[in-house]
Formats: sequence, C-alpha cells, structure tokens
Amino acid sequence: MADEHTELLQGTLEMLVLKTLAFEPMHGWGIAHRIQRMSNDVFLVAQGSLYPALVRMKRRGWVKTEWRITENSRRARYYELTAAGRRQLQSHYSAWQRASAAIDGIMTATLAMAGAEP
Amino acid sequence: MSILSDVLERVRALVFRRREERELDEELHTHVEMEAEYRTRSGQNGDAARRDSVIALGGVERVKDDVRDARGTRLLEDTSADLSFTLRTLSRSPGFAIVAILTLAIGIGGTTAVYSAVDAVLLQPLPYQQPGQLVRLFQNDVAHPDERGFITPVHYLAYRKLSSFEATAAVLTYNETGADIGTGDRARRIRLLPTSSEYFDVVRVHPRLGRGFQPDEEVGAPVVVLSHRLWQEEMRGDPNAVGRSFTLSGRAYTVAGVMPDGFSDPLVGDVDAWTPLDLSSGRDVSNADNHWLTVVARLRPATEIGRAQAELDALGVTLANQFPSAKDARARLYPLKEDIVGSSSRALEIMLGAVGLVLLLVCVNIANLLLVRGSERAHEFALRSALGADRSRLVRQMLIESITLALAGAMASLVVARLAMSAIVVLGAGTIPRLASLTLDPRLLAFSFGIATVSAIVFGLAPALRVARTHPGDVLRDQSRSSTSGVGHMRVREWLVVSQVAMAFVLVVGAGLLLASFDRIRRVDLGVRPDNVLTFELNLPATRYDSTARGRFYEDVSAEISTLPGVRAAGGVSRLPATGPFHMWGVRATSGALAGTPRGSVGAQQRVISGDYLKAVGLPVLEGRAFDASDDVGAPKHVLVSKSLADRLYPGARAIGQRLRTGGREVEIIGVVGEVAVDNEGRPGPYVYHAHRQFAGDRNWALTQVVAVNDARAGVQSAIRRLLSARDPLLVMHRPAMLDDVIGNGAAQRVFTLRILLTFAAVAIALAALGLFGVLSYGVRLRAREFSIRMALGAERHAIRRMILRRGMVVTGVGLVIGLVAATSLSKLMASVLFKVSPFDPAVFVGAVAFMTLVGGLAAYLPAHRATSADPREALQ
Repeated sequence: MADEHTELLQGTLEMLVLKTLAFEPMHGWGIAHRIQRMSNDVFLVAQGSLYPALVRMKRRGWVKTEWRITENSRRARYYELTAAGRRQLQSHYSAWQRASAAIDGIMTATLAMAGAEP
Repeated sequence: MSILSDVLERVRALVFRRREERELDEELHTHVEMEAEYRTRSGQNGDAARRDSVIALGGVERVKDDVRDARGTRLLEDTSADLSFTLRTLSRSPGFAIVAILTLAIGIGGTTAVYSAVDAVLLQPLPYQQPGQLVRLFQNDVAHPDERGFITPVHYLAYRKLSSFEATAAVLTYNETGADIGTGDRARRIRLLPTSSEYFDVVRVHPRLGRGFQPDEEVGAPVVVLSHRLWQEEMRGDPNAVGRSFTLSGRAYTVAGVMPDGFSDPLVGDVDAWTPLDLSSGRDVSNADNHWLTVVARLRPATEIGRAQAELDALGVTLANQFPSAKDARARLYPLKEDIVGSSSRALEIMLGAVGLVLLLVCVNIANLLLVRGSERAHEFALRSALGADRSRLVRQMLIESITLALAGAMASLVVARLAMSAIVVLGAGTIPRLASLTLDPRLLAFSFGIATVSAIVFGLAPALRVARTHPGDVLRDQSRSSTSGVGHMRVREWLVVSQVAMAFVLVVGAGLLLASFDRIRRVDLGVRPDNVLTFELNLPATRYDSTARGRFYEDVSAEISTLPGVRAAGGVSRLPATGPFHMWGVRATSGALAGTPRGSVGAQQRVISGDYLKAVGLPVLEGRAFDASDDVGAPKHVLVSKSLADRLYPGARAIGQRLRTGGREVEIIGVVGEVAVDNEGRPGPYVYHAHRQFAGDRNWALTQVVAVNDARAGVQSAIRRLLSARDPLLVMHRPAMLDDVIGNGAAQRVFTLRILLTFAAVAIALAALGLFGVLSYGVRLRAREFSIRMALGAERHAIRRMILRRGMVVTGVGLVIGLVAATSLSKLMASVLFKVSPFDPAVFVGAVAFMTLVGGLAAYLPAHRATSADPREALQ
C-alpha cells in the first residue's frame, strides 16, 4: 500500500500547489485533495507540510489570501494565484520539463548512445 | 518585488502575530473539520474520522510550529517570548533575582570603584614631562639606611654637582612658611615656596611670562615668580607684570615671572609664589648636620636610578670624611612617584587584592545560585524536553535568563560604583594623594561587567547543557522517586562553597589584623594628654608685628585665654606633638664629659613654645623648671630638653645647667621634661624646647595655639574668637581642631584601609554564609522524603540534624584549612600597614577561625532545623 504512494519532493509540492490554484482560488484542505485526486491518488500530500509551504509562497508573493465562505457555509482561508505566482508556475514547469526530459533520456539510454569504448 | 513582499510579510507576521496565530488556529481547525466530514461521508464513524483527520494533518500544534518556522520571524519571536518568560519566572522568584542582581552589582561596582582609585593614585603617571626621571633624595644615618631625613644645605650643594642629575631642586621643607600680602582689609597670607634656581628645570615647567631664578639669586634675592592665580588676583593679569614691584611681608620684590595656569608643585600642591632660596648657609660647614631641605632631582635621560645611587654613595663617603659632624650621613634616591604615593600604595594594593577576592566570591556565588536554580529546574526542563521542546531552545532560554540577570546587575553596579567612589573620595581625602582626579573608567566597567557576564553565562548554561545531554526520562524518574541520587550533583557546589569560605577567611584575617593594629595605636603612650585640647593656628603678619611684638603677643594671648571660663591652660608650639618629625637639627654638647666628641652629638626635634604649653598638653617637668617670665629676650638663652636627650648627652650627670649648641645658638639647659612621641605610632625622639620670646628674633615661626579645656563642647571657641578680634580685628583663627583629631589624622590612612577591608570582609562573610546556607538547604529539600522516611522508621531527629550540621561543618572546615594556608602567605604582604601586630598574630587567626566557624554553624543550623521540623507524614504524602 505504502509503495503505491510516492512522497513528494520538496519544491515539487510548490509547483503542484501553484498548478492547482491556477484553475481557481482554493482553501488548504481543497488543495491537498485536488493534488491527490489529480495524481490519481499516486501522490500522498502530507497535509501538515502544505501549510508551511503556503506561508512560504505567500511570503514570496506567489499567492494571496482571503477569508471566504465555502459551499458548505464554512469560513475558510482561500489562496489565490498572483501574477508573480503564474510566472513562477511557468518557469518552474519548464525547468521541471527540462529536468524530466534529461532524466528520461538517461534512463532510456543504450550503451551506443553513451559512447562506445575506443 | 519578491524581496519586498518577503520583508513586508515577515513584518506583518510579527506585528499582527496574535491575529496570525488566531487565523492559523482557525484555518487548521477548519481543515480538520473538512477532512473529518470527508471521511464520514466515505463511511468512517465520527470519532474515528476526527482522530484520523488530526493524524493525517500531523498534529495541529506540530503544524503550527512548522508554520511559525516558515514565517521567518521565529528567532525574534522566540527571543521575545523567552525574554518575557524569563521576566515572569524571575518575578516569580524575586528572592533569587534580587540576590543575584545585588551580588553582581556589589561585585562589579565595588571592583570598578576601587580599581579606579588605584588607577588614579598609583598607575597614572605624574603630570610632568618624563616623570620617570624624577627622584627624591633623603638623607639617612649609615646605621639606619631606611630613614628618610631632610637634606642639609651643605650636602645639597655637593649633591647637585653629580653627573647623574640633569637638574636638582631644593625647596624649603617647611611648607607652612607663607608671606603676608596686601594691606588693611585686603591683608592675607599666601603660600610661599622658597626654591633653588633649578626647580623649574626639574619639573620642566617654566614661567609663561618672564623667567625663573638664576644661581646668583640663591641668596634670598628679592625676586618672585607668581602663580597664575595670584597674578590674576593681585595684578589683574597684567601682561607687563614682569619687572614690576610686589610686596611680600613688607619687603619689596621684583616680579621675575608668572607660572602657567594649572601648574602645581609635585610635593606641596598649590603654591601662590616662589622666591629664591637662601643657600648661603650651605657654604658654612657648621650646617652640615642641619637638615631642612627637601630635594627633588631629575635624572639624565637613560640614567638608571641604580647608577645615580652608586654615584651618590661614593660621594657620601667623601663628604663623611670632609665633615666630621656629619660622618654618618648618607643619602638615598627614591622615585618621586613612589615617595608621593608612599605607604598609601600598599594600602591601595591591599584594597585591590580585597576587591579582587570579593569579585571572585561574587562570581562563585552567582555560579552557585545559577547551578542550584538549574538543578531545581532540571525537572521542568526534562518535562519540556520530553514533551517535544527543542533542546537548543531550552539552552537559549537559560542563556537569556543569565544575560538578563547580568545586564540588570550591570545597571545596578553603575549606582554602586558611583556611591563607592564618592565614599572613597570622602574617606580618603587628605590621606591618599591624587584622589581628586578619580573618575569612573568605562573600560574598567566593561571589564568587570564582562567577567560577571561570562561567569553568569557559563554557570547558567551548565545545567541547561546537562539537561540537554541527559535523557529526560532519567531526570524525571530520578525526581519522582525523590531519592538521594541527586546528591551526586552537589559536589561542584560544595567545592564552590569551600572556596568561598577560604576567601572570606582571608579577608576576615586581613580586617582582623588591621583592627588589632588600630587598637594598639590607640593605646600608644604619646607622652602628652591629647584629649580636650583645642588647637588653632594664628599667623602674625610680619608687617605689623616685629619679633618683639610677636614674642609679647603670643604670651599675652595665652595668658588672656587661660583666664576664660572652662580653660585650664593655654600656650603655643611650633609643631603639635606626635604629628610627625619637624625641624630636626643637630645638637652638640658643649659641656660635660661628651663635649666635643662624636658621641656628644645627636639630631633632635626642635620646638618653640610659648605661654603654658607644657601644662596645656600635660607634659611633666621631671627636673629643674619650666620657662617663666624671667626667660625674656634679653636674658641668657635657656632650653628645656627631653629626658632621652639629657641621658644621651650627659650620661650619669645632672643635665640642669649643662650647655649645648644647636641652630647656631649656644644655650643652657634649665629643665628636663617627659618624652613625647614624634608621631602617632609612638616613635620616640629627643626634643629641645626653646622659649618663643628668646627665639622670635631668629626666625619667624608661626605658633599653633593649644588650649586645654574642661569641656570641648562649651563655647570656648567663640570666646577665643571674640578675644582675638578685640586685640586685632585682622587676625584669623585658622583651622580650629581638637588635638586628638589632629594626631589621629596621621592614622587616617590606616582607618581608611580598615574601613574598606571591614566592608569587604562583611560582604565576603555574607556571601560565604549565603552560599553554605543555599547548598545545605537545597540538599535538605532534595532529601526531604528520605529524611521523612528515616524519621518515620524511628531515626532520631537530632541524628538527622547532626548529620546536616556535620556536612556544613566539613565544608566550612575544609574552607578554613585552605583559607589558613592562603592567609598565612598573603598576610605577610600587609606587614607594612600593620602596627605592632605580627602578620601571623595568633589571636587574630584564632578569632577568625572561631568567627567563621560560628557563621558556618549558623548557616548550617537553619537548614538542619528545617529538615527535622517538618511533619514526616506531610512530606510523604
């Protein structure tokens, strides 16, 4: 069971949160659940690590907060992406893609591609 | 942009911390509710859903803590929280805080004040150029090389030719010599210093206007150098003052120069005017045993004092052969500063040592206090640590507490230092030179503060680190069982108390030795009765009183005063008894068996007396008679001598009617009087007494009046004042004082040292007793359960009490043994300030041991009593 979940890398969590908020403003619990759902329950968000990450992102100006009423008429703090947050999502994602492609390349490489012995 | 928002966000978080916390709390609770709701919808039952929701979050408080970290205000927040926590804990145990702060304040403040005094008096150089080259010369007897006698003019003229000296100044020793200036209402007496021509080269300060003196003026030439102040007051700062006439005691002088503002003589201090000394007497060999000059010299650059001394020694031998009347005379050089600071240097060094000990005691006490406190809080810390508190946070909190205490102590120490310094200036005034320049040195304060802070931090941190190292479970188990295993930690503290007892003992011995000295001084037989004797100075201006008028005036005034009600006798003397050597002249027998032989020659104190001086001070006439009206100016010159002088010059013969020669006069002895001490330590010395009426024509020596009264508090003083102004409205009664006070002033320096040492000893005893009390009380508290069990099992109360007392006495005893060893090696350093008391005086040592044992016993008794007075049932419940 534990093998089916993958711990999130530090930094990756921030990117996923930014992506989640790119659709619409959301509260903490909602963010955690969306990430889990969108990853088809592969990623298990340690809910406790979400809030410090949100505070850090707020400090960097990527998100802003607002208290709103939920559809279940509960008061909750909603997080909303700022322009800086959008830019950050872009650059973060392209960096991720480059790294991901590179890792992909390495993992699928053959001996010939690595360069034969002289 | 992002940096700005970062900073803004941090500031906001800090400023609105409360709101942030509230919102965070709400947010997390909402989260838990949403999760629980979600889990319930997926089929979990309510309670389990709620519990799992909290677990999924990772614990509300835990997340809060992580968020606080993420805010980036953590350090500041924690520090201010620690600070307010510290202030709260300290205010909950005000006793601890007050004792710690006061201890620090006394330690830092006292050390700073005393060290400032030592610095001002001993360490700062004399305010002259190249002060290290300045030396003072003293003559001594070949058999008594440590004597410090004045110099004869004959020897001075020889000494100043030495190649080691760049310049050599002689000044008239009798600094009371003054001069009358002004006329009528503006008549007053100024301080005049007759000096040799090289004086200004020796001090390397030359007149700002005009010049100093020429060698050919050393015949008492009528030229004068004025002080800046006198020039301002009497000549209105006239820039053309040089060459103008200035009248001193009715004689016209020419102004040769004006000294710069702020100059003061190294030995006498404030001087109003300088005139050339008359050194012609130095060419008269008969003055080779006439010691009346003070000599200060400046060594040539790079000349060692030892080399100069060797040259002086060689010359001394030559001169001894040249002048048979001074064949035993030698001379010795002392650095001028050492001479000025003199014996007060030892007094100050003792004070410095004492205050150093007190500072050490303070540090030990602080250490002990903090260790006890740390141990008491070990349980609290272990608990907090077990509950997940960060250990570095605990250590930091201890650190903040120590620093807070040290800072508060430093603040309070400023007040203590100020008070202590004004006390030192007041107590030491007139007895310790150069105290006037005493200031609080901030570097010093920083130093003392640093030491106290470091000790506070080190000893405050030690228990926190110990907690951080040990497993909290151990501490908690240990504590809950309340066993005796906590005793293991007490070793360090007991040794600290041992060191305190030892240090306090050293201070008590020092104070005890001084007390004993002081007691012996009080019991010294001075040869006179100094109680209930009023003294005052009366200067007769030479312009209005010639020698005959002076002679008559002093006799008449004494006679008139003695008729006042409440007065037993009145007279005058050129120097009050037991106030130090003065006017030491050679005396040669000119009749009797020893006449003309070296043994028939001796140095003796010369005193000029008037009125009924002998009766006024209670000096008995042993043989012959006192002066009476027949010993007038025209009559044959008569003197009285002390018994020791009579025995020395005329052994086995009757002294009355014998003749002697002194001060250029041949006189006949008409009476033998009792011995009078030269100083307040009872040092004996031969005396010759002259009748003022027969002497006034030779020299104008102002006489100090002495009046024996029945009751010092009666209005005799004002009656005398009225009587004087009726005779001459311009006369002033100078410096009225009681004779025993005047004599006692000589002991003032010892009194000063004694007071300081007593204070320090008291502080030290208090600290040591507090330390012992604290350690034993702590031990009793730790073992309260054990004692209760023992008592419940039938142990005798007094057995337990004895056990605690014994523990206290062992600590005290070990401290005393160490203290004894330290005191015997340190008290030797006090020898020079002690009087007729051995540095190892058994009575003082035994007394100190007894006293410290008593204090130790008392400090141990209270905890012992408390240990056994509690109801065992209460402690066990």
